[in-house]
This record gives sequence, structure tokens and C-alpha cells, in this order.
Amino acid sequence: MRVDPFYISNLVGSLDQTQATEQQLSSELSSGVRVTSLSQDPVASGENVLLLNQIQQDDTFTQSANLVTGQLQVADSALGSVVSQLTQAISLATSANNGTMNSSNVKSISSQISGILDEVTSLANTSYQGQYIFAGGQTSTAPFSTSTATSPAVTTYHGDSSVNYLQTPNGQKIQLNVPGSQIFTGSGTSSVFGALNALVADYSSGTVDTNQAVSDTTALSTALNYVSQQRVAIDNSMTQVTAASDAVSSVQTQLTTAQTNLMQADIPAISTQLSLAKTQQTALISVIAQLNSSSSDLFNKL
Amino acid sequence: MGTINSALSIMSQALNADQEALNIVANNVANANTPGYTIESPTWQENQPITISGVSYGQGVTETGATSERDRVLESRLDQQQQMAAASGSRLTSLNTLQALFTPDSGSSSSTAGDIGSDITGFFNSFSSLEANPTNNALRQNVLSTAGTLAGDISNAAASLNSQRSALDQEAAGVTSQVNSLTSAIAQLNQQIQTTSPNGDAGTLEDQRQQDLSQLSQLIGINQITTENNGLSITTTSGQLLLSGGTSFQLTNGTVNGVTDFFLGNTNVTSQLVSGGGSLGGYLTARDQDIPGALNSLDQLAYSISTTVNAQNNSGTDLAGNTGTTSDPLYIFNQPALVAGSAAGMSVVMTDPNRIAAAGAGDGTGDNSNATAMAALANQSIVNGQTPTNYYSNFVTTLGSTVSSVQTENTAQNASVTQLQTQNNALSGVNLNDEASAMTTFERSYQAASQVFTMLNTIMASALNIGDQTAVS
Repeated sequence: MRVDPFYISNLVGSLDQTQATEQQLSSELSSGVRVTSLSQDPVASGENVLLLNQIQQDDTFTQSANLVTGQLQVADSALGSVVSQLTQAISLATSANNGTMNSSNVKSISSQISGILDEVTSLANTSYQGQYIFAGGQTSTAPFSTSTATSPAVTTYHGDSSVNYLQTPNGQKIQLNVPGSQIFTGSGTSSVFGALNALVADYSSGTVDTNQAVSDTTALSTALNYVSQQRVAIDNSMTQVTAASDAVSSVQTQLTTAQTNLMQADIPAISTQLSLAKTQQTALISVIAQLNSSSSDLFNKL
Repeated sequence: MGTINSALSIMSQALNADQEALNIVANNVANANTPGYTIESPTWQENQPITISGVSYGQGVTETGATSERDRVLESRLDQQQQMAAASGSRLTSLNTLQALFTPDSGSSSSTAGDIGSDITGFFNSFSSLEANPTNNALRQNVLSTAGTLAGDISNAAASLNSQRSALDQEAAGVTSQVNSLTSAIAQLNQQIQTTSPNGDAGTLEDQRQQDLSQLSQLIGINQITTENNGLSITTTSGQLLLSGGTSFQLTNGTVNGVTDFFLGNTNVTSQLVSGGGSLGGYLTARDQDIPGALNSLDQLAYSISTTVNAQNNSGTDLAGNTGTTSDPLYIFNQPALVAGSAAGMSVVMTDPNRIAAAGAGDGTGDNSNATAMAALANQSIVNGQTPTNYYSNFVTTLGSTVSSVQTENTAQNASVTQLQTQNNALSGVNLNDEASAMTTFERSYQAASQVFTMLNTIMASALNIGDQTAVS
């Protein structure tokens, strides 16, 4: 049988291939990445794009959650202060309504309630990072102002009723704000500013029309309850943001693990392959050396 | 009746024949490493016997020349396999350069630079961040900067693809002159072979022709047709005549629609060459199919993102309270007119972050409903019925699979070439051990012939000296 006399060049080809394998394996080892080009694992490459997309979305949401938590906390504490101010106003009004006070005391109550009105107005105009948080979408202008041209004075809302939502990566919408109109100038008797302005006017002359004053005080209590209810909405949002943020973080951890498993080099396996390739290379080199040695040619025996 | 004289003549012919055989061995050993050399072996022929008085006497041997050990079928199979391997090889080289533009992102922050997948996510995420605080300048600035990164990476990738394409175009054009010089060399050899050995193997000339054919088949896909008088006609794989007998037809190239096209005579053969094989076929497949395919996907992605995002932003209200108008649209990206060229032309035209319309139409500037809508585009089927990320993911999977399948194809074809090469080498290569043994045989045969000659000489002397032993020594 005839053989290929150039078999050594084939062996050298194998040697080249072994070296290429070693190069590839050591680059995987040094970078820690299994898939360094698309063709190595096309499916994993595509999957990787999707996983990274989700991981980054989750990451962004966690950051946004931190941002909005600040705003929600400011809103919550402002409403907390409003509640305590209103409680104080109700107790002042109740004491004025029992008919035992003299005229100057009643006037003093009027001015105290007027002070509370100013305080509540400023709380309703609370801003966070330069934006008025109870103004709906019109966050660049202070939402409430009071005109004293008439008696009782009138407090007007300049904002709108738009509500912002933060969307979680799985599509859940979390309410970020409650428009001031809904909290402070709610419909009918539940208007905070309506009741406060009416009480200031009721006591301003020093004489009390008890029926009117009692009815206005009742209206303020109703408004207070309403504010507390709206505060619950803000608290709910805070809970939702925290819960969503926790959920997203745990999903993100899982996804990161999946992505790492998908793309990262399996160090023990690669080391084994590298050692096999090294052995093969050594074997090939000695085979070539043996075959190439001068005694392997019949001419040497002549 | 045989004579001592005729025996002497047989021996001198045998010595000549052995010398010629040794000459052939020497030539084989000398050409052991010459590319394309086919081993030659001496042809021995018995001389015509002569018949005297009804008895036939052998008249020795003549060496009639060297015969090349050649298998034409094997050689043409090798050529065919080589042209396929060369095609997939050059296509693979181009595809490897192509896929290097889309190296998978390992997920660490340092590797995200230049990754279009991460850019898409980053861009739409910037709107999710803006939801949290729609009037914040830093967040608005972030939208424009991520948009710039996305547009920059897509347009860079498109520019690289275009420059790869023109590089391939030049390489393909460069093949033309090599093909032409090989076909004219083969045509000349054809003529010589037809004159010198119309009926048999032409030895060295044939080796040269085969060597040229082998080179030619690595450049371009060919069919070989053997014609009368040991001639050869060559056509391209799809049947256009490249050379016939002593005449070769020049392959010419010219620029058509910005790319190099190839002509035989007046016929444009470019599309036939694409699938024809040879490295030219591989270059053209990459130039006319693979790169345009990738570019088209990027164009589609760029077009859909640019137009959808522009339209959504244009329909909202910016920080100054304005809504987009026909004369002053609120466009973030350069609005593309056509899908083709969208990727290369993608850029951010918005410079003022306050023109990002986070608020819905008619809403106050603190509203975030339009920012939410823009962020939601990331999960809507806006690119060919898929979300942008899914579209990109499918694109890389498809590209990776193409490269991987060409790689597999190329490996298989190379293995087949190696196998055929081994078979061919086994038949036609110079095996030095064989030559050593042949040389020993011929040397011994020569020695034997000279010994016989000496003996015959002694016998002749005895014959001449019959009666007088000392007359001739």
C-alpha cells in the first residue's frame, strides 16, 4: 500500500490546531468569559441580550424607586403636619364655640386659626427639588394662594388633576402624587381651605354666630378625615415602591446569576481541556521529532 | 540460434535502460519537494523477439521513458473540493470580522461600551428614570446622552460594515487579474500539450497545468472539460467559458451601482460567481449577502427606533409647555426618510434637554405620562413586529448561527480536502523510501548487467582463442 509521504505536514497542521485551541482556552480562562464571539454560542448570545436588558431595567427601577421614595416621604410628612395643624384648629374652634369666651379671646382664636391657615397653605405648597408636589402636573407654580378681598377669604387651586405613575418592570403602576385639589379643596364640605377661611371669618368680629361656627367646625372635621384618607394613598404608594423594589432586586439577583452561568467560563472544565490540549501538543511534538530524525529514511541505510 | 554477440548487445541495452531508470529516480528525488510534481516511474518494454529456424529468442529490454503517476479523476475532485473550501474560508474570514462588531456583552460595566443591546436598554431606561422626576435636568440630560450613545454605536457599526464591504469589494476585484494570468498560462500549456503529446500524459507540462488549475480553483469556481488531443476547456461553475484549448477569455470588472461587477465578454456574471465557489465566490457572498443582510437589520432597527421615539416625543409636551409642530417638531433623532441608510445616518438632533416631552399633550410640565409612554416603547413591538431588544437579540442569534454554520461547513470541507490531498499524495507524491529501494534495485540490476557483460567478454575471448590460448586476453 502506498502512503502519503508528506504525512508530517499533516501532523504540523494538527499541531497548529492544538495551539489555536490552547490560545482560545487560555483567553477564556484569563477573561473569565465563555462566549467571546457570537458564533461560539449563538443562542446564548441572543439570550444574553435579553437577560442584560431585564437586569438593566431592574437596576434602573431600583434607582428610580430610591428617587421617588424621597418625594413620597416629603408628601407624607407634609400631610402629617397638615393633620396635626387641623386637629389644633378644631380644638381651638371647639373652645370658641362653647360660648364662654370674651370678645378679645374669640378674636385671638380667629388670628390663631388664621396662622394655622397660613401654615397649612405653606404645607400645601410644599416643594421637592424645586417642584410643587401637590400641584398635579403644574409643578412649576405654587398651587395654592389666598385672596382676602372677600370675607370669608377665598383660597384658589392653580394646579391640575393630573397624577403621575411610576411603572415597574412588570408593568405595575404606582401612584406618585395626589393632586392638591383632591386633598385640600375637595368637593363640597370637605374643603380644608373653605372650612378654615370660614372659621377665620366667623371669629374675626369677636362675636360668635354659634350655629354657623359649629357647622363650619364640623365641616373642618370632615375635611380632616378626608386629608387622612388621602394620606393613606401616599402611604400605600410608599409601601408599594418598597415592595416592588425588593421584588425587583431579588429578580435581578436571580437574573444576574443566570446571566453569569450563561456567559461565564467554567474554570475547572476549561482547565481540564487546556491540560488535554497541552498533552496532545507535547505528544505531537515528540511524534514529529521522532519521525523527522535522520534515521527514519531508507537512504541513510544504503 | 543465439550468439554471444547478440547477448553482448542485449546487455549493453540493459545497461542503457538501467541508466535511464536511475536518471528517473534521480529526477524524482530532486523534485521530492517541488509543488505539483507528480512522481515518475520508468516504463520497461520487452524488445521484439527474433525467430531463427523456428526458435524464438528474447532481445532484451528498452526503457521507453518516464510515466507520471496521475489520477485525473482524483485531481479534479480535489480541485472541486478546494474551490468549495476556499469559498467558505474567505466567507468565514469576512464573517469573523463582521461578528467582531457585535461581541457579546459579558455584563460587566467595562464591556457595555459599544454594545448596541445595552445601548437600547439604556436609552429606554433613561425614560423610566425620567418618570420618577420628569422635570429633573440631570435625568433629561441622561436621556440625550444615552440617545447619543445608541445613535453613535449604531451608526459606527453601520459605517464599519460599509467599509468592510468596500474592502471586500477591492479584494474581489484583485482576484480578477490573478484569474486572468492563470487562464492564459493554462491556455499556453494546453497548446504545448496538444502539440507535444496529444495522446498521452504530458508529464512536466501536465504537472504545471494541474498546478495552475489547482490555484485557479481556489480563486474561482470552475468546471473542467477534457477535449480531444489531451486539451482542456474550463468554464465557470455556472457554465460561462473561461478558456477553450489555446484561447482564454479575460474576466474583466467594472463598477456598477458603486460595487465591482464582473464580466466575461459583455455578459455580467457577478450573480453567478456569488454562489460559484472559490475565494472570489466567498468574498462576493459576504459582500452581496452577509453584510447587506446585517446592514438591513441595523437599518430596520435604527429606522423604527428613530421614527417611533420621534413621533412619541412630538406628541407630548416639553418642559417649556410646547407641543411639537410641523415646522418645529420635537424630534430626538434625525428623522429618517427611508429604511435604507437609517443606521448609517442615525444621530441625535436634539440639543436642549428641556425639549424632551415628558408630559402628555395638554398636561402640565410636571406630568410624566409621555415619559411613561416612551419608556413603554421598550416593551412594544415597534421593530418588525418585535420589541427592540428582542429584535436585536434575534439579530445576534441569527448572525452567530450563520457564522457558526459556515465555520462547520469550512471545517468539513477542509477535512475533505486534506483527505483527498492525502490520497493524491499517496499516489503522486515522491516517497523517498520507495526511491531508495528503486535506486538499489536499478543499481543492482546495472551491476548484474555489467557482470554478465564481463563474463560474456571472457567467453568471447575464449571463443576467439580456440586453439591458441594466448592470442586474445
